[in-house]
This record gives sequence, C-alpha cells and structure tokens, in this order.
Amino acid sequence: MSKRAQVEMAGLVVVVILLTLGMLFLAQFALRDDAAKKIFTRKGLAYSTMSAMMKTTISDPECVAQLRAEIYPQLEKDLLEDCALYADTSPGGYSLYTCGGKHSCIYVRQQLAQFLDQVLWHKNYEFSSRLLRSDHPVELVSIKKNAGCPATRERDASDAFFLNTEAGLVESILYLCE
Amino acid sequence: MNRHAQVHLMETVAVLIIFFILIVFGLVFYFRYQQVALKEKSNELLAARAVDTTTRTMFLPELLCTKGAAEPEDNCVDVLKLHYANSTILKYSAEYYFDLFSYANVTVTQIYPEQWSVQLYYQPKPAWKNKEVTFFVVSLRDDTRVTQGTAYGLGYLTVEAYS
Repeated sequence: MSKRAQVEMAGLVVVVILLTLGMLFLAQFALRDDAAKKIFTRKGLAYSTMSAMMKTTISDPECVAQLRAEIYPQLEKDLLEDCALYADTSPGGYSLYTCGGKHSCIYVRQQLAQFLDQVLWHKNYEFSSRLLRSDHPVELVSIKKNAGCPATRERDASDAFFLNTEAGLVESILYLCE
Repeated sequence: MNRHAQVHLMETVAVLIIFFILIVFGLVFYFRYQQVALKEKSNELLAARAVDTTTRTMFLPELLCTKGAAEPEDNCVDVLKLHYANSTILKYSAEYYFDLFSYANVTVTQIYPEQWSVQLYYQPKPAWKNKEVTFFVVSLRDDTRVTQGTAYGLGYLTVEAYS
C-alpha cells in the first residue's frame, strides 16, 4: 500500500512539473514586450517626417507674389510663424503670406494634411501645433487620421519641435500609432 | 501472491507508459515552439537588416546633404548628388555596394513639389521568401531650384530587404 502511494505521488509530481513548464511557456508569450526595432522605427519615422515636413520649401508662386524678395517660404520657419502671428485673423483676415489665396493658417493646415496623407498612408497619426501663450495655448493646426493616437493607445512621438515667434513659442508634435 | 505481483507490475508499466506519453507530448510541444521562435527570430533579423540598410543609405556620403564645411544635415538627400550617385551605385553595385546593402531594393521618391522616383540600388535575392519594407521620410535639397536660398522638397526613402 505504501509503495502504491509512493508511485501515485511520483505521478502527481510529474504532472505538476509538466503543467508548470507549460505555464512558463505561456507566460513568456504573454509578457513579451513589443520588439525594440518596431518602436525605434516608428519613433524614427515620426522624427524624420516632422523634420522633413517643417523644412519643406513651398513652391507656390502666389506665396511670394506680394513680397519683395523672391525667397520661397519654408513651412515652419515662415508659414507656421506667420500663422502664429496672425492666428486671430484666421480664416478670412490678413496674413503676410497668402499662398493659394488663403490665410497662412488655412494653407499650412491643408498642406500638412496633404503631406501626411502622402507619406504616412500606412500609419495612423496625430499632428498638433500649438501657440503657447501666457494666458492660454492656441491650437494652430490639428490633424488626425482615424481618430488619431490618444494617450491610451500604444504610440510613438517625434520630439517636440519648437519655434520661437513674436507671438510666443510654437510647439509642434507628431504621434504615430498602428 | 503471484497474481498480486502481476497486477502490481501491470500498474507500474501503465504508469510508465503514461509518463513516457507525457514526455513525448512535452517534446513535441517544445519542438513546435522552437520552430515558431526560430521563424520569428529570422523575421526579426530581417527587419533589423532593413533598418540597418535604411540608416546606411541615409548617411551615405554620396547622398547626404552637407553645409559646406562637411557638416551633415540629418534626414536630407541632396538631389544633385542623387542623380549622379544613381549611376555610380548601379555601376559598382556588385563590387562595393553589395557589401553595404546586401539583397535589397533602395528607392528615393519625391512627392513635393514634383513627383519622381529614383531607384538607387536593386539586387533581389534569387528565389527570395520574405521581404521587409522600411520607409523613412526625407528632405530633398535642390540647390538649383530657386535663385535665392535653398529649396527643400519632401519625399521618402524605401528600402526592401530580401531573405
């Protein structure tokens, strides 16, 4: 009887060991983090997209028609700054640049939306550009694809791009998510 | 007594059989897991190679924008260099650039202001099974576009790595 009990005990131990090993394997799958490469690529893509878009020179002849020097404006340095200075007069009021016959804020929003759609067609994104005034921030540009990338979702961001203007500091950021 | 011993022996044999069946199940499960893990690892390595190739292309001196004193600009491709580097890279792809890019397809596409595309390097692997595609958005600097200042276009770099 004692020997039988021992054999049964040994059998139980084997079963417990096998179950434990199986659960360890399952835990390994469940607790695995996103591959570092995926995060690096998405973050790199967000940063490179922002960097490239903000430097883009707008080639619309209407942008320079009213100005003396024929220097075509860059999206961030000139147009976004103009939008920050004349945000209160958007959409129908005055702005220094009137690319496509539109207020600079409207043009920047449309152009950025077009760029993002063309280069990030395979991702969801959320772009935001705000003027940080002392009293309250003003949203200059906000573009979202498929409800954007809220903080509750897994997302990666470009670094914040800052632009110092006479109207205040402009902060731009791009979020990417799947 | 003899019968009792026989029954006892049969019990032991049955326990051992079940034990070995469980061992076999465990081994089969482990080998299947290893198979999946190896395939995943292979995909990970392919993705890493695609990212490596993209990074190398973005920092290639034949394409990189510089600010005169050899100071490079990040995420920028010089369009003038690109059009000349294209023929050089294609000419020496087997002797030199294969060591850098391996089996890959590297393309630069501009979307603004004009749309065009340049295939820099193309070396597909014969009978390839997997392909990993990586995109990076880049500025395309063209010093001939305007009379004053420097003009930056917008485009993207596509790298397809084969395995």
